[in-house]
Amino acid sequence: MNKKAQQEMVGFVLIVVLVMVGMMVFLVISLRDAPEERGSLQVGYVLDAIMKHTTECAVIYEPDYDNFEDLFKSCYKNDKCSNLGVSACDYLNKTLREVVGDMMDTEATVSSYQVNFFSKDDTGQQGILTFYEGNCTGVMSAAQRSIISGSESLIIQMKICGLTN
Amino acid sequence: MGIKHEQSLTTSKKGTSALAVTKGRPRAVRNLIPKHRKTWFPRKRYDESTNLKEGTCRKTWFPRGQMKIQQMAFMIVAVFFFFALVGLFFLNIQLKDIKGGSAQLQKEQAISSLKVIADMPELNYDSSETMTVDEDKIRVMSGNFSADYDLFWPVASIGIYKIYPAFNAVKKCPASNCNFYEIYDNGQTNVKTYSTYVSICKKVKELGSIYDKCEVGKLVVGVNINE
Repeated sequence: MNKKAQQEMVGFVLIVVLVMVGMMVFLVISLRDAPEERGSLQVGYVLDAIMKHTTECAVIYEPDYDNFEDLFKSCYKNDKCSNLGVSACDYLNKTLREVVGDMMDTEATVSSYQVNFFSKDDTGQQGILTFYEGNCTGVMSAAQRSIISGSESLIIQMKICGLTN
Repeated sequence: MGIKHEQSLTTSKKGTSALAVTKGRPRAVRNLIPKHRKTWFPRKRYDESTNLKEGTCRKTWFPRGQMKIQQMAFMIVAVFFFFALVGLFFLNIQLKDIKGGSAQLQKEQAISSLKVIADMPELNYDSSETMTVDEDKIRVMSGNFSADYDLFWPVASIGIYKIYPAFNAVKKCPASNCNFYEIYDNGQTNVKTYSTYVSICKKVKELGSIYDKCEVGKLVVGVNINE
């Protein structure tokens, strides 16, 4: 094999290697761009149903019970459930875990879920309540709802892994 | 210069025409080429077989050129196939993504259809609220109305479960501490079910005050599968 043929082979191999590297870069970028979390209509409905759920916590008087939306506000304002004698945040933490847990138990494909409750203002975010159950092995679907409490914006965010129909 | 070599060669030997038309390198010419030169540089030669005048030249068609063209052609074909394979690979990835998107859209469309059912006046609690069903209405609807609503519901079955507090066994309403309202079932078995979460609300009177009590529920709708 003469030298020129060797040079041509080296050139060809170089081109193939370059194309392969380009392909790998493209693949990595396209895989990275694939959304890890996607906004889900269904998770939004889960959040809506939770928000409307009437709790047993009455901050002012019975039977003016808070639903979860009001309870998030009460927790942010450090109110107390006057009928139960516990702080709204403690009650929220306990009850929200139970309700979300029972909801997710009816979903066979859900491997994990996460709920974040935080306040958001001009200075940034401040976490108030977060809990996470399970281990995510599939696609993460997410949704969030915003509640206005005075001048503050309270965000309730939910992430569910493996939610199907 | 090469032409001069050839011309001098033709005059130096007998039967010069044979030398001029012989393919490849003539031995006599090879002897004229300096030893350090490996290839025969002049590619133009005098051809007596043609009507070319003495001293004029024409390009000859060497097998080496053919080789080059063949090599290039193979290279182009190889590169074409290579890029075709790469294109197919990426096309496959893109199509997979499209299929996933299509399934997701189909699912969201089905869930949107559930919203339509939940917001029907027959089930809806408050017209200003979506995905909220009236427990009193669904209690009535879960009576023996299936046959009457056979043409009304655009689906095979509709049921609503109470999710919280959790239950171990399904207890059909109407009954005490029931957790399942069967609103409609046309009896078909070949159905695909879609579900979403709704709020089940009702008016409750407690300590002399009336308030709205809402619970988390799950609306399950069965759709006929056409095979």
